[in-house]
Amino acid sequence: MNDESKSSNSSRSDGEPETVRSTTPIWIILLTLMLLFLGSVYFDHHSGWFSSKVYSPYTSKDEVELYQPKSGAAAQAAHGRQVYQFVCGACHGVDGMGKPGQAPPLAGSEWVNANGFHRLAQILLNGLNGNLQVEGKDWNLNMAAMGAGLSDADLAAVLTYIRTSWDNKAGAVTADDVKAIRAAVGGHPSISAAQLKTIPE
Amino acid sequence: MRNGVIVFIAAFIALGVSWCGFVLAPVMQLGTEKQAAVLNSSDVYPIGRPGEANQGLQVYRANGCAACHTEQVQQSGFACDVMITSAGTNPPAVIAAWWRMQTNFFPNEMTQRFYSVIPNSGGVPQFPFERVRKEIADIAVESFQNVGAKAEIHIIAIGPDIERGWGLRRSVAEDFLYDQPVQLGSLRAGPDLANVGARLPDANWQLVHLYAPQALVKNSTMPPFRFLFEVRKIGNAPSPDALQFSKAFAPPAGCEVVPKPEAKQLAAYLSSLRADAPLYEAPFTPIMTKP
Repeated sequence: MNDESKSSNSSRSDGEPETVRSTTPIWIILLTLMLLFLGSVYFDHHSGWFSSKVYSPYTSKDEVELYQPKSGAAAQAAHGRQVYQFVCGACHGVDGMGKPGQAPPLAGSEWVNANGFHRLAQILLNGLNGNLQVEGKDWNLNMAAMGAGLSDADLAAVLTYIRTSWDNKAGAVTADDVKAIRAAVGGHPSISAAQLKTIPE
Repeated sequence: MRNGVIVFIAAFIALGVSWCGFVLAPVMQLGTEKQAAVLNSSDVYPIGRPGEANQGLQVYRANGCAACHTEQVQQSGFACDVMITSAGTNPPAVIAAWWRMQTNFFPNEMTQRFYSVIPNSGGVPQFPFERVRKEIADIAVESFQNVGAKAEIHIIAIGPDIERGWGLRRSVAEDFLYDQPVQLGSLRAGPDLANVGARLPDANWQLVHLYAPQALVKNSTMPPFRFLFEVRKIGNAPSPDALQFSKAFAPPAGCEVVPKPEAKQLAAYLSSLRADAPLYEAPFTPIMTKP
C-alpha cells in the first residue's frame, strides 16, 4: 500500500503537468465581450472600412465626399489664391501691398493692370532684375523665376488672381495662354527692367 | 511533446494572422495606388522626380537626413471657411444676416479669426465664418445668397503642422508613389521637409545651407555637410558653380567652394519635394495665412 501511494505521488510531481479544467470566471467573459464591443464601435467610427481614400481625420467615404471643394469659377479663384499665398505671398504680401525692401506692391501696380499679360507672365517665368518703377517708386531688386516650376494651370490661376484681386481690373489668363508664352520665351535668362519695356504688352 | 500538432497550428495561425494584418491588408489597401487627378485641375499627381532629383533621394538616404527630418505632414481636423466674394447691392442686409446667423449658430464664441472687410461695401466681412462645419457653411452661403451677396466655401485642413506652414494638407500614400525607398522619418530635430521645395524653391539656397547652415539660419542645430563640397584654389577663372558666402563663412582668400555632384543631386531632390496638390483623399481649397 505504502509503495503504491508513493509511486503514484512521485509520478504526479515529476511527470508533465496536467491541464486542470475549471470554469472561466463570469467577469472575464463579460470584460472580454465589453472590450470586443468597444473595439468594434471604434473600428466602425475610425477605420473607413479599409478604403484607400479615407485617411484620418476623415472617418468615412461620405465625409470625404462632403468636403470636396467645388469646381468652376469659385474653384479657379481659390486655386489662384492658394498658389499666390504659397509662392508669392511671403514677399508681395497676402494683401498684395508688397513689402519695403523685399517686393513692390501688386495691388494697383501699372505693370499688373496692363492691357496684356505678356510682361507679367514673363516676369514670373524668367525672373526680373534691375531698377523698376512701380506706382512712382523705384525698386531695385532681384526676383527669381518663381513661376518656372509651376504648371500651366497653376500659373494661369495665379496670374488671373493677381490681375483681378485687390481692385485690380485686368482680365483673366487661361492655361493655353501660359502654355504659348512658355513655349515662346520659357528658359530665357532673367530679364532686366529695360528689356521688360521692350516686350509688347 | 504532447499536443504538438495543436501547438504548431496555433503558432501558424498567430503568425499568419499578423502577416495578413501587416503585409496583406496594406497591399490590398494601397497596392493599386496610381497617378491620380488633382482636384479641379487637368493635372495629374504625383509626377516622377527628374533624374538628378531621383539620385538625390539616395544621397538623402545615405547621409541619414531622415534621422532628423520627417517627410510627413499631419492633420488633426478639417473645416470650412465661408468667403464672401461680392457684397451685392444691399450690404447692410448682408451684415444683418451675418449677425443673425452668429447669434443663432454661435452665441458664445467668435467665429472670425482675422478681420478683413470687402472694400467699398460698408463693412461686409470677407470671411464671415471661419473654421465651421460643412452644414453651417452651407446654410451661411445660402443665407448670404438670399440677400444678394455671392459667397463660397473653402475647405481647409487644420493641425499644428499646417499652422507651422509645413503643408496645406496631410500627407497621403499618393505622395510617396515614386519614392524608393520612402523617407518618412520619425523624429523632428529639424523641420518637416514634405513641402520644402515649395517653401524654398531656390536650389542655390539649399547648397549654401548644406555647406554652412548657420550662414542662413542663425542658431540652426543642423551639422554642416562640407564633405559634399570641394574647397579649391581658383584656377584661371572662378567656377560658375562657386557658392557665395558672407565673410564669416567664406573660404580662405583665393579659394572657392564648389558643390560635388552629390550636393547638386541632394539640392535638386530637396527642391523637388512638394506635396501640396489637393487630392480626393486629402481635399482642401486654399490656405488661410492672413496677416
